Amino acid sequence: MKRTKWWAMLVALVLIAASCGGSDDGDDTAAGGEDAAESTDESADDESEDGDATDDEDTTDEGEGGDDAGAAGDIATDIGVDDEVIRIGYNADLSGLFAPLVLQIIEATEVYWEGVNEAGGIGGRMVEPVILDNAYDVPKHLENHEILSGEGAEGVVMIGQSTGSPHTAATSDLLVEDDLAALPLSWYSGWGDEAIGKNVFEVQTNYCLESMNGMTHMSETHGTNVAIISFPGEYGQDGAQGAKLAAEALGLNVVFDGEGAVVPGSDQTPVITEIVNSDADVVWATVNPGTLAEIMGGAIQQGFQGQWSGNSPTYNFQLLASDLGPALDQFYTHSTYTALWNTDDTPGMTEVVEAMRERRPDAPVSDVYLIGWINGIIVQTILEQAVENGDLTRAGVLAAANEVSVDLKGLAPNQTWAGDWNDFVVRESYVYDIDSSLLTPEGTVSDEGAGTGFSLIDGPFVSETAANHEFSSACFVAE
Amino acid sequence: MDRIKGFNPFTSIGSSALTVFIAAVVLFLINRAIFETTVLVQTLAKALGLGAVYAIVALGFVLIFKATQVVNFAQGGLAMVGALFLSFLAVDEHIPFTTIQNPLIGIGPSWFGWGLSVLVALVFAALLGLVIERIVIRPMIGQPLFSVAIITLGMEAFLRTFANDSVRVQLRPLGIPWGTGGFTLGGTVGDNGITTGGAFVAWSYVAAVITAAVAFVAVFLFYRSRMGVAMRAVAFDQEAAMANGINVGLVFAIAWAAGAVLATIGGIYATQPPIAQTGAVQIETQFIAFRTLPAVILGGLDSVQGALVGGLIIGLAEISAGQYLSQFSGQLGAGYPLIVPYVVMIIGLLVRPYGIFGTPEVRRV
Amino acid sequence: MYRRPHMFTSYASEAKILSSTTQRVAMAVGLTVLVLMPFDLPVINQLPFIRFLGDSDWLRPVSTVLVFVIAAIGLNILAGVAGQVSLGHGFFMGVGAYSAAFLGGDATATVYGHGLPIWIWLPGAGVGAALVGMLIAPIAVRLRGLYLAIVTLGLVFIGIHLGNTDWGRRFAGDPGLGRDFPTLDIRLWKEENPLVSVSDDGQWLWFDAATNQKSYLVLLAIMLVMVLLAKNIVRSRTGRALQAIRDRDIAAEVMGIAEFRYKVIAFAISSFFAGVGGALFASLVGKLPASEWDLFLSVEFVAILLIGGLGSITGTIFGTIFVVLGPLLIEQATRWLDRQTESEGIFGILADTVLTEGPGDFGPVSTGTQSPGWPLNVFDWNVALYGVLIIVFLIFEPLGLYGIWLNIKSYFQRWPFSY
Repeated sequence: MKRTKWWAMLVALVLIAASCGGSDDGDDTAAGGEDAAESTDESADDESEDGDATDDEDTTDEGEGGDDAGAAGDIATDIGVDDEVIRIGYNADLSGLFAPLVLQIIEATEVYWEGVNEAGGIGGRMVEPVILDNAYDVPKHLENHEILSGEGAEGVVMIGQSTGSPHTAATSDLLVEDDLAALPLSWYSGWGDEAIGKNVFEVQTNYCLESMNGMTHMSETHGTNVAIISFPGEYGQDGAQGAKLAAEALGLNVVFDGEGAVVPGSDQTPVITEIVNSDADVVWATVNPGTLAEIMGGAIQQGFQGQWSGNSPTYNFQLLASDLGPALDQFYTHSTYTALWNTDDTPGMTEVVEAMRERRPDAPVSDVYLIGWINGIIVQTILEQAVENGDLTRAGVLAAANEVSVDLKGLAPNQTWAGDWNDFVVRESYVYDIDSSLLTPEGTVSDEGAGTGFSLIDGPFVSETAANHEFSSACFVAE
Repeated sequence: MDRIKGFNPFTSIGSSALTVFIAAVVLFLINRAIFETTVLVQTLAKALGLGAVYAIVALGFVLIFKATQVVNFAQGGLAMVGALFLSFLAVDEHIPFTTIQNPLIGIGPSWFGWGLSVLVALVFAALLGLVIERIVIRPMIGQPLFSVAIITLGMEAFLRTFANDSVRVQLRPLGIPWGTGGFTLGGTVGDNGITTGGAFVAWSYVAAVITAAVAFVAVFLFYRSRMGVAMRAVAFDQEAAMANGINVGLVFAIAWAAGAVLATIGGIYATQPPIAQTGAVQIETQFIAFRTLPAVILGGLDSVQGALVGGLIIGLAEISAGQYLSQFSGQLGAGYPLIVPYVVMIIGLLVRPYGIFGTPEVRRV
Repeated sequence: MYRRPHMFTSYASEAKILSSTTQRVAMAVGLTVLVLMPFDLPVINQLPFIRFLGDSDWLRPVSTVLVFVIAAIGLNILAGVAGQVSLGHGFFMGVGAYSAAFLGGDATATVYGHGLPIWIWLPGAGVGAALVGMLIAPIAVRLRGLYLAIVTLGLVFIGIHLGNTDWGRRFAGDPGLGRDFPTLDIRLWKEENPLVSVSDDGQWLWFDAATNQKSYLVLLAIMLVMVLLAKNIVRSRTGRALQAIRDRDIAAEVMGIAEFRYKVIAFAISSFFAGVGGALFASLVGKLPASEWDLFLSVEFVAILLIGGLGSITGTIFGTIFVVLGPLLIEQATRWLDRQTESEGIFGILADTVLTEGPGDFGPVSTGTQSPGWPLNVFDWNVALYGVLIIVFLIFEPLGLYGIWLNIKSYFQRWPFSY
């Protein structure tokens, strides 16, 4: 009895081991004979080799085997690109705190690439997203980064999405070392600062400018006594700083300054008490949906009558289907940096809605598909620019990212990273009214009438404060 | 047990500090009762609501611990899965002959249908508890305490995955009929029909207090019954109980079923004021179990009345610290209510190392 | 066998770390392999298991194992040797990490740092954590079993809260982004060019080495020193006293072992290891927010201990490998299974049953990324599978990997009379 036990365990361990060892073979087979030889070469002098030498060697390889599309011959490539595929890395939170949202974002990105590949790919090469799960954990994110930045079968030419601020910050030096460009899923105003994120290409309006726009709108429509609440740290305090800058510029009266006062997971009584006592007209919140519900619900129960708004993602349309729905409908205004699901008829919107209906007809409605889709457009534009430049190496893609101008077809303000920080930073944002009659919480993308409960008030618009803000450092200096 | 009779620095310092502290709190509360009665009433109601939820979840921990000597770290996962059963039955499936919908969208809630859904969900939860006990806990009888604790942590990871997965994009409504509503004591009614200035009491506070009362009375009565006596015997000494012909396996099963049911009830209340405001299961719902641990320990791991007292004390401490110390947020650090339960627990354990009602371990040479 | 495995003729020979020739040979071979692992040397890169370390993907997880072993040994001395289970190990690791950052990190506008070299900040991290451990020990000494576990769990929450306060941020940095930790570079003092550079690729003696390989070797060396230290503590007078307290504290007291003093010592030693481990972990990651020193980290260490086997340092190493590399292996296995769908034979069938490729397929796991819901996406599946693996493992072998190891060992030791 006892003996069979540990023998069985040994067998189990061996099986696990076999599966692991086998995975390498699997990679090689998948990549084809030529690649197998190449990857052995690479691993033999792995790490010890200088980047440039690898470039040359691989380019020669491409030349010899270049029997594919004619374009392939003249384009320099190194890691993550061969004659058939371009690999793009996604280091995303797929099982952690933000998994519900990130999974939908990634799903839309996949839909985007399916479309691109069917239309012939980029420069004759198919796009192959390499999606790894960082579980919203910094060490895991770094482990994934090793895989994506490495020269193995899962090495990529750029990082299409990097979930989370601490995670992206932990890799920002490595990105520079490896000449990798990365698009963060984080809107901290510091990413524009070369010292913090040289190779991190922030997409859309940052928290700080969004707060300025939102605060301007709220104070114009609802009153000048404002309360500001936020999480501690680079998300919350960046948003709160923006709100305060706007308050100062507009001469608003900050009746409660709760910058960094809200800690998720704790009882929110102190913040609720202070908000109720402050009797503010407007509360600007930079928190998450669950915490917003807790604070807003608590304050309204105690008779608080002010209006609320806050940075994306403080609010999530699913909250409208909860018990707090009526209060949100009455008191909340949503601020965002992209258009929302099926709220207008711009060409970009029509494309994404049609693509989702065609390829994922049963997917539930959600606004975040747009984030994934926009990500796809941006990455494609960058890669096409790189193809045009004839340089699909990592450094080439990085250079292309620094010169492109991306047309987002009305889904969000157009994006570029050319020139100076203050020139390219996106300053426009949107405000939406919340309307529960437009909400179908169980709807799928295929439903014509399915919506997420928003109607556009204004946008993309830019407030005077945001237009005049000069960045020399992040609004909230975190380090 | 104390090596030096008469003076033990920890007990003495601890208890004198505690006396001074309690006196200060009482004086402060009297002061508040005179000057700001509505706020005090509101705070006490909220504290009672939170304390009752803590007591319910703590009772689940205690029942399982008493029977099987296991601290079930999967209690949070069970809470979430149980609440999801309810969401599935009450909101998705509109179980038999009733129509229940989200209050927002239209047709009003049907109390009967919802009550029925809750009953069925609790039965499901009990079954889940039985299955877990049979498959995972039973083989571990007699194994080291902490191995079993880690097994329950593995269980938690497993349950959490499925639960998180079905929460989808963050919220699964439970269709609770009373929602976030409540009533106001005192105050003035404004033009828009909203009362201002009074003490707000949510219906969920009342419901939680009633549920806790029912649960505790039921457990006390159960312990008087034949099976209950058997349970206490098992808690006292497993081997001796077995030798006396008590079906220990059955006792284990009952304890786990009851624990899962209580976790589910806790999970349902964890979606409501004062813990959350959405009335929907979210990823955060599972944290109710970890938030309850200080209450369990403060009351005593193996004491039913300890669960009640510990829950209420922790609830009171957390809410009143949040209410009355809010202007010191700067000094105490943002989010200080999060650690109030732990601080209270540590002070409590300095005075009584086995909790208020816990049984001290008999130490033999 | 020609000798009796458990017969010793003197206490010294019984207390030897490597008591038999087999063990000494195994240790020598093992060490050689560990040292050579990161390099693509001619013979080594042909070996199936060792080869993958030449690929830098695996070096980081394996380096994490080395660091976790150090911290886990600390908990093992407290829980396995002295019998005091703590769920607050993550807290002490955090204390160590911030002591290290305070001493060795670079000061910025928002955080403290003195830029001191590694030979100050690394021991400093241990000492800092040990001092905090000694402060907390008097409270802990009064508590036992689960009460102690849950009180120490409170430390984790209190620690993260302190990291969020205004003065805590001076040590821990921004709650969102975290702060930079010192690198493993070896300097004499604060000079510009380190004596031994670890944080850059480049020449080391006569061979080229990348950052990952260098830090692996440095961590390996530190780990070996710490393991040796732990082994020696356990077999010293202190170690024996702690074991006596674990086995029956009153009996130990009657025999003249000062329970209070030794429990405080146990906390100090354990926190020292935790502090060193935490500092190295932070340094390996480079940048961490305070919220990473959380409950899950602490729980991971308790899991390491129980899976490896309480009280055994060898077991701790096994346990760490299981807990740190387990999820990665599962991930690899799932991806491998995904590639088998096309193939014939048993694995193809297995893949077909488990995986869902598209509509009309009914496996529990979906191969693509898709919104949560049924079927499970691969990532949730990996987490769930890991949970199940822990459960099955502990039901199967409650003594942990060390129990299995002992069985194997005694099987061969008793040969040909094994049963």
